[in-house]
Amino acid sequence: MEHIDPEHHDGTSDATPGGEVDKRRPGELFFSAFLLIASLFLLSSAFGIENPFGPNGFSSPRSIPLATTAVMVFSSALVLFKTARLPLDRAETIAKDILPPVVLVFAMFLVLYGVVLRPLGFLPTSALFLIAAIKILAKRNWVWTLTVSLGSLIAIWLIFRIVFSVLMPAGIVPEAEFIQFFRDLSNGGAEQ
Amino acid sequence: MIALMDFLTVFTQPELLLLVGLGTFAGIYVGAIPGLSVTMAVSILISFTFSWDVYPAISLMIGIYMGGVYGGSRTAILLNIPGAPSAIATALDGYPMAKRGEAGTAIGVTTVMSFIGGFVGIGVLALAAPLVSEFALKFQPRDYMLLAILGILLVGSLSQGSLVKGIFAGALGIAIGAVGRDPLTFAERFTFDFQLLEGGISFIAVMIGMFGVSEALLQLHHVDKDAVRQKITRIVPSLATVKKHLPLSLQTSTIGVTIGALPGTGGDIAALMAYDHAKRVTKNPERPFGDGAMEGLVAPETANNSAVGGAFIPMMTLGIPGDAVTAIMIGALFIHGLNPGPMLMIDQPDMFWFIVGCLVMANIFMLIFGLTGIKLFTRIVEMPRSVLIPLIMLLSIVGAYAVNNSVTDVYWMLGFGVFGYFMRHYGYPLGPVILGVILSRLLDDNWRRAIISEREDLGRFFEGIVTSPLSLVLFVSVILIFVSQTPLWSKAKARIFKDGKAKS
Repeated sequence: MEHIDPEHHDGTSDATPGGEVDKRRPGELFFSAFLLIASLFLLSSAFGIENPFGPNGFSSPRSIPLATTAVMVFSSALVLFKTARLPLDRAETIAKDILPPVVLVFAMFLVLYGVVLRPLGFLPTSALFLIAAIKILAKRNWVWTLTVSLGSLIAIWLIFRIVFSVLMPAGIVPEAEFIQFFRDLSNGGAEQ
Repeated sequence: MIALMDFLTVFTQPELLLLVGLGTFAGIYVGAIPGLSVTMAVSILISFTFSWDVYPAISLMIGIYMGGVYGGSRTAILLNIPGAPSAIATALDGYPMAKRGEAGTAIGVTTVMSFIGGFVGIGVLALAAPLVSEFALKFQPRDYMLLAILGILLVGSLSQGSLVKGIFAGALGIAIGAVGRDPLTFAERFTFDFQLLEGGISFIAVMIGMFGVSEALLQLHHVDKDAVRQKITRIVPSLATVKKHLPLSLQTSTIGVTIGALPGTGGDIAALMAYDHAKRVTKNPERPFGDGAMEGLVAPETANNSAVGGAFIPMMTLGIPGDAVTAIMIGALFIHGLNPGPMLMIDQPDMFWFIVGCLVMANIFMLIFGLTGIKLFTRIVEMPRSVLIPLIMLLSIVGAYAVNNSVTDVYWMLGFGVFGYFMRHYGYPLGPVILGVILSRLLDDNWRRAIISEREDLGRFFEGIVTSPLSLVLFVSVILIFVSQTPLWSKAKARIFKDGKAKS
């Protein structure tokens, strides 16, 4: 089977990206080391799992976690060793190929979203997020940005609130009263 | 007779029919739009449909799955961008055809061939699954354990990339699945004394993070790429074309359904292997492969759609997913209180026949939508990424929140999203992680059952493996996967091939 690497750089990231086979990407060594350390930490944590009902034998709750974390330690050590021997890919940089500013900004947006979701509520938070995100990415004028982002937010809200009955935190918007108002309105109409 | 009635359920209820149709339609677009994947769509959808009844939820998801596997071919042909991993091989010959102005023909042939492949897969599923499940009743706990390991390893080794990274990803998934209180002894595992972790990590949060947010973050790299317009003319292919390629399509369907049925391997691998096969058996293609050979289109497209039916075989009979999407579907069935495995086929055969019915219907819808609505299609696919990416992120957040109404799940989702983003960058496959999370419980339970029944004696455990033919086959397969990745194997292979050449 021939190796097809569509990552450089046509947008098909679904298909397992990972840079060039025989080169180390920027930051890869750090990531491998991080995985090894995290695996070691998990392994030590797995050792601490105690069976409340008997000895920590093969059938205890410790055995599978111990085995999997051991596999993690072994495989991540192997990856680290292999990665360390590869030459660095000079054509790529962290700021351009791994973690461009726009990705950082969006990761931050997402964290902020999580923080303000409960106090502010779903509709205002999402509106802010969509407007900011679409404005940054599309770089179009405000009228276009507001129309697209608020339009799609209303569509999403209608679909999920009404079709899927997903309840998101209401926050400062009196959502339930709003819906009840429309229900009353349509019911009133039906009764007449 | 009862089976027939169950099979026909979906055809008799307009609501379910509508959902399958809607799902297929949506799936084609989800599959076609680069950056939206079927895995992503199905994992986000689970969280929205979990309050529904099981039938409508399954109808929608099957539609999306079937449509999505096919939809990936569209952008592969038109833009040289496979909309889904299973369409990578399609782009190799599909795009050259489009460049020559034969995009319509390419899409038409793809549609009809996907339809044929889909039916072969469903046929094999309907015939084989009842037999397999009967056979599966004889499986020992250790066989389930070995099958789970095999599934996770296969997905790691056959997908492109290194096996070691695949193994790491699978082990990580199993560890994530083990977080929380152990269901048998109530012992705390990986909770670090946080009360938050005692209930475990919601696998939906892991899934949406890995397949939704990480993908969206990665797509930020490609925001500025424009969609390319293509003129499409006639798309319904002539009967002669279909007839000519029928033998090849049946062969590649067989490959597809077999690969699909192997635990852990799905349409993407099936398509690449079928493409390889087509290259070998087609003696005189009208055009060379890679330059717009029709055979290069027929092979992967039949294979990836027949793999759908195949992937349902291990899922329905053993509770072991055939690929990432079926792994998520197993999760969906769990949520709806069903437990996929041999007992499901015996206790609730109606569920199985209902799924087969849905697949048939989805396949028919796929043909209908595939051959019509091209104009609408080109317009939707041109939806700019600058709008698409924020929307995916928003949907991911809503999806993660909706399951347990908990903001904690949103944080888990974001955390795994960022982690998955780096994993993708550094070539770690994400499929094994999801398989690991889903199979963690099954693996753990069956290992403990197996070792307890051998009185905690490892020697007797291995004796059991060696003396049972089934366990032995599974065990040898697991070992073979490891050996095939070591330098020893390639050396041995080189030597054998050298000998072969020297003799000839």
